[in-house]
Amino acid sequence: MQSPLAPKPLKASLSDPATWVDQHGDYLFRYAMMRLRNKDLAENMVQETFLAAITGKNSFSGRSTERTWMVGILKHKIIDHYRRDFREKTVTDLQGQQNDEEQTIDSFYDAAGDPRKFPKDWMPEPEALLHNKEFWETLQHCMGKLPQNTAHAFAMRELDDKDTGEICKELGITPTNLWVMLHRARLQLRECLERNWFDLKK
Amino acid sequence: MTPINLEKETRTGWLVSCKQAALLVSLSFERRLSLREFIVMRLHLCLCKTCSFYRAQISVLRKVFIRHEELLDNVPPLEQDRLSLQAKERIRGALGRKG
Repeated sequence: MQSPLAPKPLKASLSDPATWVDQHGDYLFRYAMMRLRNKDLAENMVQETFLAAITGKNSFSGRSTERTWMVGILKHKIIDHYRRDFREKTVTDLQGQQNDEEQTIDSFYDAAGDPRKFPKDWMPEPEALLHNKEFWETLQHCMGKLPQNTAHAFAMRELDDKDTGEICKELGITPTNLWVMLHRARLQLRECLERNWFDLKK
Repeated sequence: MTPINLEKETRTGWLVSCKQAALLVSLSFERRLSLREFIVMRLHLCLCKTCSFYRAQISVLRKVFIRHEELLDNVPPLEQDRLSLQAKERIRGALGRKG
């Protein structure tokens, strides 16, 4: 039985699709760019999201905002894309990638296991970084230097905050594969950010 | 070529290299470390300032990434993070044909 206090089901309706590009286009594009780092791909994802929104407009319940609902669609499309990229890899490709990850990790250290470049104190101010678009530009530039699949896995972990088990299941990789990829991504990102951001800002 | 053996990499005694310590630090952001791994990591961090910086850096990155949607909500995009006019036109066209 419905409590009299329960909110009435909203009569949900979406705004006119002709206005979507202006309302949500840039937002969805930036969201996709952070995760795909490829302009053409991100544009396509935005278009596909809008088309899927038209097809599925009856499933919009009005419980979330129109934009949040669209971001949800986009998220799924991006993960489908990640999954395809991973599934397309042959066993040999994956072995090659694993070797590449390990060689890259090795390259940051000398034979004794000491870092070739010692991490510095960034004296970080997360709040300031968070709202600094040039920092994000640098970050995206650095993520763009990662191999595609490594960047995908890293984005799922850090941007989407998915847990390890879920990522392994989605991408069909083992936890050890994933941990090594994430570790490589972190070593490479921290090095790139230090060189291109923190060293320059001091 | 065998894959990285985490057991082997992190089981070479109580004192480990920066390379091994950094791997443990990364792992500690992904799963609960075993008691042994935890002690080995803490011991190294006590002795090694740069690995402590590494850990702080990873922690900052995680904090920043997790709140990235605030950037989308609050900070206007750079020009290259906007849809180009051509792309907008194209998408409008596709929507028009569908809708």
